Amino acid sequence: MRQLDNRILRQYKMKKLAIISVLALSGMLVTSCGSDPTDPGRDYMPDMKYSRAYETYADHSNLTAKGVNYNNRPVAGTVSRGEEMPYHLPNDSAGYAQSAGVVDPLPKLNEVEMGEAERMYLINCAICHGTKLDGNGPLYKGGAGPYAAKPATLVGDAKIEALTEGTLYHVMTYGKNLMGSYASQLNRKQRWMVAQYIKSKQTGAKGDAPAGGSDSTSAATPATAAAQ
Amino acid sequence: MIHYRRIAKALVSLVLVVISCLFGNDLFAQANGQALFSANCASCHAPYKDLTGPALAGVEERWGDNKRLYAWIRNNQAVLKTGDKYANELYLKWNKTPMNLFPNLTDPEIDAILSYIKSVPAPNTEGPAGGGATATSQGEDNTLLYGILTLVLAVIALILLQVNSNLKKLSDDKEGHPSLDPVPFWRNKAYIALIAILLFCIGGYMTVTGAIGLGRTKGYNPTQPIYYSHKVHAGTNQISCLYCHGGAQEGKHANIPSVNVCMNCHMAINEYTGKDKLITAEGKEVDGTNEIKKLYEYAGFDPAVSKVWDPSKAKPIDWTRVHSLPDHVYFNHSQHVKAGKVQCQTCHGEVQKMDAAYQFAELSMGWCVNCHRTTQVQFKDNGFYSIYQKFHDDLKNGRIDSTKGITVEKIGGTECQKCHY
Repeated sequence: MRQLDNRILRQYKMKKLAIISVLALSGMLVTSCGSDPTDPGRDYMPDMKYSRAYETYADHSNLTAKGVNYNNRPVAGTVSRGEEMPYHLPNDSAGYAQSAGVVDPLPKLNEVEMGEAERMYLINCAICHGTKLDGNGPLYKGGAGPYAAKPATLVGDAKIEALTEGTLYHVMTYGKNLMGSYASQLNRKQRWMVAQYIKSKQTGAKGDAPAGGSDSTSAATPATAAAQ
Repeated sequence: MIHYRRIAKALVSLVLVVISCLFGNDLFAQANGQALFSANCASCHAPYKDLTGPALAGVEERWGDNKRLYAWIRNNQAVLKTGDKYANELYLKWNKTPMNLFPNLTDPEIDAILSYIKSVPAPNTEGPAGGGATATSQGEDNTLLYGILTLVLAVIALILLQVNSNLKKLSDDKEGHPSLDPVPFWRNKAYIALIAILLFCIGGYMTVTGAIGLGRTKGYNPTQPIYYSHKVHAGTNQISCLYCHGGAQEGKHANIPSVNVCMNCHMAINEYTGKDKLITAEGKEVDGTNEIKKLYEYAGFDPAVSKVWDPSKAKPIDWTRVHSLPDHVYFNHSQHVKAGKVQCQTCHGEVQKMDAAYQFAELSMGWCVNCHRTTQVQFKDNGFYSIYQKFHDDLKNGRIDSTKGITVEKIGGTECQKCHY
């Protein structure tokens, strides 16, 4: 009788222990599921999550140790398909002076391409030079913005309007004074397109009609294209 | 009489004219000075900040002699050739950056510019007094409050139950009913069953949500090496998303901008003067100017040493990746941004209102598929979808309701192998 009592008591104690441990475990589960925004959490099946191949922005610093020669730059002396030919003038005052003579390799942009050039201008340039090309973009805001230097007035400043497309391209490629290089954001073709866009805005603002000039022909081409 | 009046009238009008001329001239000169400064000088000079050229406040005192200064402004190259000591030192100090020539500026015009420079007040170095924007986010800790309330109520309910049973026992004793042995509540089967069911429900709910959330990182907001506020850049200063992340329209990845893109603007912007306070996710206030200094460290740029930044000294910034899709699913940004013409905000939330960018969307498969089921493909004027001739014809004939349009699902946007291959 006494033995039975002991056994029941022991079983009862075991049960109690089990209940307590379950409670404690669930408590731990609850507290561990905190929402720390700086913690990315856990993965399951990480072998399907992370690429075995080296993807963009993957750390490839260990490749040299593995004896693999890797350089993430285009091979010197090559031009990628559809890309304009490289620009050879150096980034110095002599190169700047020479750039005036560089001729735009692109044909005159049609309406759709000009729209694309305008889009690129608005994304990359308008932030300083203004949507109206008046050198008063949201970063300068007539001196109230965070950018202290006045960006060049692209339309309406005789000095800037005197620059050729080649010089505009040179400046976009290397930057000038406080303006940085935009070669990483706009490829060669896009830079020439933006140069054409700026030039077209300058001539467009200048005269309503130098009659019979290049303006009227440029106005005529889209019309004839539409007619055909 | 009449004569006197006439003379008096003439005198008064003369005085008025003279006064208006004087004041008018003065006003005109001031406005002129500002206009001239902004047209000729402001690209390279600011009154109190070194830009491409030196800060101009106190320029007359530095030169001492106005004649030399005027000559310098008109043709600095000629002054350099005369061997002027101050001019040559200045030229060397500014890395031989040649100043533009302004031969057409007249003496009064230069006077106007100089007087405008004098009239500009020095910037307040102490910074604006805090605008008291201490709006503590209310309603965040409500869950804790509810939890405590529930607990308190539960305890009260338990006590009342206990009191009730005690009272019952007392009244039973009084009336002489034979009472059963009292069962303590931890051995009461009803209590145990109740607690077990409760635990099962809570535990099950947490297990399910936890399992669904495994590998998903909605709301992930890691601490970045530089505190970069999208709100300041894309919101306040209206920089387009594609200015920095132009890769989103070109290819698979929306690229992380390299240091030179930061330096396009931050060569000139070296302090944070915005009105909005920068607050981290943990609620700490951040000094924006200090964060720009961190950028300069990565860029290898020290404005105190040289105003010209040498990009070859830069090293990349180790940003922590926020959005990460698993390798077994293919996602292409340009497909969505360029061909699909989807706004960045659709998947990334209103980034222009976020300080540090966090993951806005779930990025789960259900989330992708739901959007593909409901989103209409922009068929109109979009060369990318010209291949779907039948759909175009059906739309024209009215066989497909043009208000409902073609969803991404209809052109195969929910096929497994579209994203998993």
